[in-house]
Amino acid sequence: MLRIRLAGDADMQWSWIPQNWSIIWPYTLDNLLLGLVPPLIGLVIALPVGIACVARRWLYPPVLSLSSAIYALPSLALFVVLIAYTGLGNLTVIIPLTLFSLCVLIPNVVDGLRSVSEPVRQAATAMGFTQVRRLVQVELPLAVPVVIAGLRVAVVSSISLASLGQLIGVSSLGYFFIDGLQRDFPTEIYVGLALTILLAVLCDVILVVSRALLTPWARGRRIGPSPRLAWPVAGR
Amino acid sequence: MITFDGVTKRYPDGTVAVDSLNLDIPDGKIMVLVGPSGCGKTTTLRMINRLVEPSAGRVLLDGRDVADANPSRLRRGIGYVIQQTGLFPHRTVEDNIATVPMLTGRKKADARARARELMELVGLDPPTMARRYPHQLSGGQQQRVGVARALAADPPVLLMDEPFSAVDPIVRAALQDELIGLQARLHKTVVLVTHDVEEAIKVGDLVAVFRPGGRLAQVDSPERLLGAPADDYVRDFVGFDRGIRRLSFFRAVSLDLATDSVLPAATTLADAITVGKRAGEPWLLVVGGDRKPLGWAAVADLESGPPDATLAGADLAPVGHTFRPEADSLRAALDATLLSRTERAVGVDDGGQVLGTTSYERLRDAIRAAEEAADRAADPVGGGR
Repeated sequence: MLRIRLAGDADMQWSWIPQNWSIIWPYTLDNLLLGLVPPLIGLVIALPVGIACVARRWLYPPVLSLSSAIYALPSLALFVVLIAYTGLGNLTVIIPLTLFSLCVLIPNVVDGLRSVSEPVRQAATAMGFTQVRRLVQVELPLAVPVVIAGLRVAVVSSISLASLGQLIGVSSLGYFFIDGLQRDFPTEIYVGLALTILLAVLCDVILVVSRALLTPWARGRRIGPSPRLAWPVAGR
Repeated sequence: MITFDGVTKRYPDGTVAVDSLNLDIPDGKIMVLVGPSGCGKTTTLRMINRLVEPSAGRVLLDGRDVADANPSRLRRGIGYVIQQTGLFPHRTVEDNIATVPMLTGRKKADARARARELMELVGLDPPTMARRYPHQLSGGQQQRVGVARALAADPPVLLMDEPFSAVDPIVRAALQDELIGLQARLHKTVVLVTHDVEEAIKVGDLVAVFRPGGRLAQVDSPERLLGAPADDYVRDFVGFDRGIRRLSFFRAVSLDLATDSVLPAATTLADAITVGKRAGEPWLLVVGGDRKPLGWAAVADLESGPPDATLAGADLAPVGHTFRPEADSLRAALDATLLSRTERAVGVDDGGQVLGTTSYERLRDAIRAAEEAADRAADPVGGGR
């Protein structure tokens, strides 16, 4: 239905963009915020949870099961359930997106910490690092590449999922999809789509660059997302 | 001094890694713990810096039980080198080496200056290497960084767990030589674990041989280990050619070299034949005016030449292998002799000038005398064991 209608009137009206800049800009900013805040909150939660899961091995399987189960929930359903508690505000969107971010970030924090080789861990202990110091000065810095890999997935998916928030009235680029559809005006949909992609690519590039800056030591060195996936080819 | 006093390590599943170990490790010496895998040598090492806690007994460092020390503080005073290096991938070479000084509160610039000193000590060029990351180094260079890092805080004790096992044989030999050289300057108390008995014999002042089950089989000097293995286990472990290898510990200076068969090139053939017959030597070594060896003349061949010609014009067999009695061992002298076509090797001084020549008879006498002297030294009372 949508495809047929668009096909009849698919022309992009470029003049619409400067004329509506004053609404495009705030929706874009709101979308950006909804894309960034949940992964950041997620990171703040995932770090201690991941550290705990590495320290207490038995903790990880249940945490992993729980986060997989949450990941399977449809986001719209979560919004609807949460409206009863948090109303139609940003929080109703931020909470589910944070939960989704956690599903990606916790395993990455765990894998990142586990990617620190046993000899490195042992050498640190043998040189007189206390546990806390070893964590802060050795293990966490070495986990950065894997954690940032998870952060990239979380940010990009949050930016794209944020548009769904518009369905419950939370401001985001989703506005242009709904409004464009209702008014049968494809230009709006194109603009919303292009800006979503632009935001996602922009954030991803920033994360890639910051990883390079934070981990100069990893340049030219192979970093796998996790020990399980790092060496897919036998006999290197 | 590190003392193991009745130390046992038993794991919860019942495995005994180390069984009632009593061992004294004297200050300033390299003590090598050697044995097959699973004999408890690494566990023993790790009990010194409390990476492993004993189930029974005490480990004393300078008379104090390590169990009473704060583990982190204890470890900062004990260098630790492992096979896989355990270098921090996210820190540059200089910052890896500066780790312990930084932990103990030294200023960054101070610690880095110290790191560069140590780089020079272990043969790494600070300007080119200091800012590199470990993965940009070869295996041998990484191991050097590992040693420098362990030495950074100038700890009196250095623990090394298979430090050279992951590098190729040529680099390994070089690193072993460097360790011996370093130790001659630094006089640390070194405890080195290896499964390689050759390495143990080469670098150790003392060698502790472990048998499976975490028991000590023998603690002795390398030379004694080769000369007087305590039992069949040690004999088998040390290897089949221990008689030859033991010769590495006897200096070739004790060898009585033949000098009457060394003749200048200006000697006439007639004189040379007379000398050869009088000395009973079938081969004469011909030397130049600078006393450097030119080659061997066979007395039997000289008789066919004109008697008034000189050795300078005679057909000479190649000099073959030389050795330096002042620096080399009897093993090197024997080896050079075996490899020479004339069954004689040439002993030279540091300038390459001939000191004399060997023969099997002369070697046999020197070896016998050296072994008797060593046995007397090890067993001064003269009683049997």
